[in-house]
Amino acid sequence: MEVITILIPYILRGLNVTLKVTGVALSCGLVFGLILALLRVYGGSLLSKIIAQSLTILRSLPHILLLLVIYFVIARVVNLSPFWAASLSLAIISSAYQAEIIRGAILAVPSGQMIAARSIGMNRIKAIWHVILPLAFRYAIPPWSNEAAIIIKDSSLVYVLGVPEIMRQAQYYSARTYQPFTAYLTVALIYFMLTFITNRGLDAIERHIRIPI
Amino acid sequence: MPNPKKFIVEIENLHKAYGKEEVLKGISMSVMEGEVVVLVGPSGTGKSTLLRCINQLTVPDSGHVWVNGIELTDPKIDIDKARQHIGMVFQDFNLFNHLTALENITLGLTKVLGMDKKKAHTRAMKELKRVGLANKYASYPGQLSGGQKQRVAIARSLAMDPIVMLFDEPTSALDPELIGEVLKVMKDLAYGGMTMICVTHEIGFAREVSHRIIFMEHGKIVEQGSSEKMLTNPDLPRTRQFLGKISEIH
Repeated sequence: MEVITILIPYILRGLNVTLKVTGVALSCGLVFGLILALLRVYGGSLLSKIIAQSLTILRSLPHILLLLVIYFVIARVVNLSPFWAASLSLAIISSAYQAEIIRGAILAVPSGQMIAARSIGMNRIKAIWHVILPLAFRYAIPPWSNEAAIIIKDSSLVYVLGVPEIMRQAQYYSARTYQPFTAYLTVALIYFMLTFITNRGLDAIERHIRIPI
Repeated sequence: MPNPKKFIVEIENLHKAYGKEEVLKGISMSVMEGEVVVLVGPSGTGKSTLLRCINQLTVPDSGHVWVNGIELTDPKIDIDKARQHIGMVFQDFNLFNHLTALENITLGLTKVLGMDKKKAHTRAMKELKRVGLANKYASYPGQLSGGQKQRVAIARSLAMDPIVMLFDEPTSALDPELIGEVLKVMKDLAYGGMTMICVTHEIGFAREVSHRIIFMEHGKIVEQGSSEKMLTNPDLPRTRQFLGKISEIH
């Protein structure tokens, strides 16, 4: 009985936060990552080098460390709620990985596609937008679903910043009721479901936009 | 018949090197309105590079190119705009893989020329009909044969109302059985008065429709002349040897 009346509200409140953190991190990470990837591929050698180095640094540090560092930098500069500061920090971390996923996908598009687009008079930006990215998008989905699965679980890291997502809520519950097993098992099931549904959703998108052959 | 009063393409002393490898060593040539020119020569001679230097897909190191009186090697020119009306057909087709045959043609019409969708659709269907593929309008490149892909690629270029068509070995990647259908489309174009520069070793095509054959080797024009003369009685032994050899094969 206690499980239903206490655990469920706790977890639901946490789930709401987890979904929002994941959503913000993945979508903002996608936008940042896309911009970084485009600049890295098409932005000239100097810019490309700077971005490559920055991404290497971002990818070589533990997420928890970066989260703390970026969080405190953001908190210094602008007055954001812990939720937004934490979510955007996670977005920046994710963007480093998404940038590489998207760059790989762009490079996988045969070079003739760009040449053909330019040959009919498209400028570079139009060619990228109408020809390169629609193809790259298709190549990017499988590795991107990996990143999505990682970020769903990494959203639990924001609990160190005091953002009450499901892990944090489960801890509260377990401290209050001395039933850690129930709490963590429920959370584990939720993470599994979230990842499962996300992967299935991405599979469906992948099938839907597959180019007929 | 070519119009000797009007030059569509003029090239003056074109040079291009990739690193230390000099691919074009001072090419000068011009092509008249309605003229069909065939470029031949051993591989690695710079034929494709020359073609790409015409529409500046490859930027030459020095020299000048004019198309329809406009200098494309002028750095101030809007090259995207100039390229709109220079058709180019590639050895490996380069159709946009994620678009249907029809969409491959309408993309340039709507996004480059700013045509509305309905008009673009009508125009694209007209071009597909011209290359005999109206029934394939909804097929993706992956669902077409090589010959069909190349015909769609030609239709894509034609839809942009080109003043000159550049063909870069358009039949080299095709099964022998499929070459004929592409050559037929090209011949129809030639008879229709299109100005064409074709890199090809299809000697039959050259004999039948081209006005002039240019033989290139090591980044230079070795010899050029009317197709008839080049195929029957060229001045240089090297030209005779090369053209003789490819005539045997094709």
